[in-house]
Amino acid sequence: MFEARGLMVFYENMLALNNVSVACGADQIIGVFGANSAGKSTLMYTLSGIMLDIQKKEEMAGGERITMRGEIIYNGRDMMRLKPSERAKAGIVLCPERRRIFPESTVLENLMIGAYLADSRRTAQTLEYVFTIFAPLKRLSKRLGGFLSGGEQQMLAIGRALMAQPKQLLLDEPLLGLSPVVQYLLVKSIKEIRDQRNTAIIVSEQYARPVMPIIDYGYILENGASVVAGTNRELMDNPDVRSAYFGS
Amino acid sequence: MEIVIYGIINSITLTLMALGFSLVYGVSRLPNFAHGALYVLTGYLAWLLLNRVGLYYPLAIIGALALTGIIGAAMYYFVLVRIRGMPISEIIASYAIGLAILEGLRWGGLKGGTFTLPPFIEGSTQLFGVSVDYQRLIVVAAGLLLIGGLWLFVSKTKLGLALKGIAQDERAALTLGIDSDRMAVVSMALGSVLAGIAALVLFPLGSIVVEAGYQVLIMAVAVCIVGGLGSWNGAILASFLIGFAQILTVSFIATHFQVVVALVAIVVTLISRPSGLFGRQKELEERV
Repeated sequence: MFEARGLMVFYENMLALNNVSVACGADQIIGVFGANSAGKSTLMYTLSGIMLDIQKKEEMAGGERITMRGEIIYNGRDMMRLKPSERAKAGIVLCPERRRIFPESTVLENLMIGAYLADSRRTAQTLEYVFTIFAPLKRLSKRLGGFLSGGEQQMLAIGRALMAQPKQLLLDEPLLGLSPVVQYLLVKSIKEIRDQRNTAIIVSEQYARPVMPIIDYGYILENGASVVAGTNRELMDNPDVRSAYFGS
Repeated sequence: MEIVIYGIINSITLTLMALGFSLVYGVSRLPNFAHGALYVLTGYLAWLLLNRVGLYYPLAIIGALALTGIIGAAMYYFVLVRIRGMPISEIIASYAIGLAILEGLRWGGLKGGTFTLPPFIEGSTQLFGVSVDYQRLIVVAAGLLLIGGLWLFVSKTKLGLALKGIAQDERAALTLGIDSDRMAVVSMALGSVLAGIAALVLFPLGSIVVEAGYQVLIMAVAVCIVGGLGSWNGAILASFLIGFAQILTVSFIATHFQVVVALVAIVVTLISRPSGLFGRQKELEERV
């Protein structure tokens, strides 16, 4: 059980997350939807601990002062003050927005860097799994990450995150800028990952429609606050959500 | 023929001087301006261990390298970690440490040609009709071994791959459980050891002098700027460009223009191609 309660994040005086609570059970897929700047990435960075690093860097450079409040509990353990590397060790792995592939490493090397936390037996086993669900990567394994198409990069980013042996995977806008066909394939793989790897997943997206069928529960963020929450059926039946996110 | 052979030797010498600097910058975006000081310090430590402590030469070398690695790691751990992300402060602080080490050594009596390390193997040989002493061949061998070893390290070992990851995209590496501060300590230690190895194979060719520290720093910076900061391939290519340019200058113009070559190379690169030969700016933009 992964749970965040009452998360508040301030950039100086601007409220980026306003009292957001999110919960994800051990076998669930949770959706977080919202427009640009609604706070999706801030939420993902806060959950994965990257926000602590951003906070430190801003402080060093004399930039924005970032303040965080609230609590993040994972299997009964308080995560709020843990560094991102410690959270990754605990099983919380973020697949960041815009993929952030290592452009000068080959596909295989990207995956091997992802396996930093895994022992050699798990590495071999996960590598085989990644090449099964994302078959194109096997063919491209010698190509540089920077020379992949958007869809291939996204497969690589998710594969790389899998190599870190996540128990709670955070996917930040995995469908951004991809064609509907690729989006459909990725959504299918995300469900497979949950079913076959016993991995809980929180996925954020700007457009709810492609992801909606596979989620167990969803939250809708607006201006940093969670305004609607519910199961996918409830969300799809909600008239406000329908008009804002499904265009009907 | 002489130009070719001495050009290669000089180029590999430059590669050796620059590898450590390039590695640290590539991994942690930290311009380590104490690089030259660490270079001289290793030479001096080896001399101390050899002549004052009376260790066996190979042991003295290992001891000096280990000490330099620890000093480099400590530099990061105690000083540089506090000013991460502020490039100007990083330069000032690391240069200050370097200056303190170098001038401290000078004040402590390190001057003149009295401090020398013995060559690993005495004597010289003929190579295509050019006489080359064994120590210079060892320099070439050490350079090639280091380049090969480093390549193996960053592409086959977990630690090396993690260093490579953090050098390319720190935030992505953080999400995978790689700790940036720990990697920075590792890279500083490794970079210092590389500076030390360069010192130990190069000092037997002359004597241990404080000025070498400043010269090595200039050369390392020149090579890295021409090759593109943070790019390892670029650094090697740039070493060969500058290395041959220097040897040609020496044979056709005059010996004392050697350093000028490096400085001119910096200026020309900054004017014509500011990110260097293999600079990473705008080369591989992400595709959305």
